[in-house]
Amino acid sequence: MSDKRWLSEPRIFYVVPVLALAIPILVNDYIQYIVNLILVYVLVGVGFNIVIGNLGQLAFANAAFFGIGAYTTGLLMYHFQVPFPLALVAGGLVGAGAGALVSLPALRGVRGFYLAIITLALGELMRWVYVHAESVTLGSMGLHVPLPFIGGIALKNDYGKFYVFLFVVVALVVSTSNLLRSRFGRAFMSIRDNELAAASVGIHTARYIVLAFAWSGFVVGVGGGLYAALVRQVSPEAFNLLELIVHFAIVTIGGLASLGGSILGAVILTAAPEFIRDLPGFEELLLATLMLVILLFLPRGFVSILARFIPAIRDRYYRE
Amino acid sequence: MRAGTARSGESMLAQLVLSGISQGCLYALVALAMTVVYRATTVVNFGHGDLLMAGAFAVYVLVIFAKVPFIPAALLAIGLLFATGVGIQHWLIRPILRGPHLSLAMMAIAVGYFLRGVARVFWGREVLPFPKIYPDKSFFLGSVVLNSSDLVITGSAIALFFLLWLLFAVTPVGKTAQAVFQSQRGAALVGINVGAFHGAMWGLGAAMAAVGGILIAPVTLLYPDMSASTLIRGFAAMTLGGFGSFPGAVIGGLLLGVMEMLVGGYVGSRFIDITAYLVIILVLLVRPVGLFGRQVVVRV
Repeated sequence: MSDKRWLSEPRIFYVVPVLALAIPILVNDYIQYIVNLILVYVLVGVGFNIVIGNLGQLAFANAAFFGIGAYTTGLLMYHFQVPFPLALVAGGLVGAGAGALVSLPALRGVRGFYLAIITLALGELMRWVYVHAESVTLGSMGLHVPLPFIGGIALKNDYGKFYVFLFVVVALVVSTSNLLRSRFGRAFMSIRDNELAAASVGIHTARYIVLAFAWSGFVVGVGGGLYAALVRQVSPEAFNLLELIVHFAIVTIGGLASLGGSILGAVILTAAPEFIRDLPGFEELLLATLMLVILLFLPRGFVSILARFIPAIRDRYYRE
Repeated sequence: MRAGTARSGESMLAQLVLSGISQGCLYALVALAMTVVYRATTVVNFGHGDLLMAGAFAVYVLVIFAKVPFIPAALLAIGLLFATGVGIQHWLIRPILRGPHLSLAMMAIAVGYFLRGVARVFWGREVLPFPKIYPDKSFFLGSVVLNSSDLVITGSAIALFFLLWLLFAVTPVGKTAQAVFQSQRGAALVGINVGAFHGAMWGLGAAMAAVGGILIAPVTLLYPDMSASTLIRGFAAMTLGGFGSFPGAVIGGLLLGVMEMLVGGYVGSRFIDITAYLVIILVLLVRPVGLFGRQVVVRV
């Protein structure tokens, strides 16, 4: 076993982004675009997982957070020529605000299926706003996002974007990891497991619920901002109920309440559909089948298979 | 949608209300089917919309490809969906019934998405006409126009509501459902076969989805994504009437249908789509129990 000890060392996770630095040298334009898309969906999954995995709330507003982040970043760049880094931060902040807003019904006691339904309605309402606030959002045609610049350098192709995206994603994943292993993360999980008990040992549950939703909204909002910069086209249909099902599948197939799981889920569910995109219906069938398999046979998600071989995942990012 | 042109205010109101009732019957049917499943099994069926689509497609396949006449095809499709519902409960829901809400929601979503995938494999993004057995006619009641589809939908829905009322109020099914809803363990102790009851109620819910699909498809046409908007309207009807209440589902559905028509007629047709969302948000924030519901709020 001693030769495997390095697999228990948490620092091995930093190997992944370091190795990833070489990706642009190795791949073509198309694969680079898919890799960037994976990075976007890593944030989508990591953010969503905080609310449904760690906090245990059935809130389905994730596609709305994603859209709000994308529209905030895109609109600021389009209407006001705001520099991309600022617009990206704004996307995250507005996403965080939306998250805090969505936590209010939960604080009022709307939980379980009721929370699921009210958040579904909120997401659809946002989509209606994108379509009908034509003077701002340009309606159902969507808006064309200007070329993003970082410090005077234009991010003309997906290779350049990749390094920016990688930096942002690593920063947010590491800070989320720290948050979840702090007092805050433990409070989230105590609320999920038994809210009454959590409150009775002095945890201010309302404060932590708002915080979890806001951080989730921030991470997903930044993901939306990156999406706007990657695709450079933001339109209402990108944030519909089908998109929400994909987000939900990323989290559950990867592994609930597991950071590693969200990353794995984002990789699987962004890459796999590319192989079957010419076959209509197969994407739905693949997603549904994976969800059924996970539910019936592998309730901890695909990350639980990975955790068997890499103890560091089990110790830090996947707990029973 | 089909609000009158230049008519007197009163007949426009009557027209909108009548059209709204016909539309509301469909929402009531969707809400009622989900209520049956929810009351019997405490599972909210997020895949109900896709069962509705599957029911309509089953009729389409039977009529167009197997050349079965419409009425037997419809009955066969309803039976097929009943069996599908029983199968879903037996093989997919039962193994995880003790799991959290999240798993059950995920299972319902996965089943629905699977059905949609199957339909997409064969029909892609096509929009198909649905076989219609009644002629398109308009009837005049004074200055108010009624279409034959309004009459067929309203008549079938009312007949179905009556049958369900008989089933739940007159036969022992209603009391069984109440017992199982309150405590599955307690119900099992007094000799109720909870598993079989759950199966039958999933079957009933799916069969009702088929009826809904058969009634909706001639109006909305047939395509794999036809149910996305129906599901949320069903939720809105349930929420408005009171989650888990049978009369609430019917009245909530009718009210929602009428509200949509009034909003469309007097405020603007672009606002029809958000009526349901606003109803959900307002009701859950202001009066979460709806019109006829019980306590739903959990406070800590």
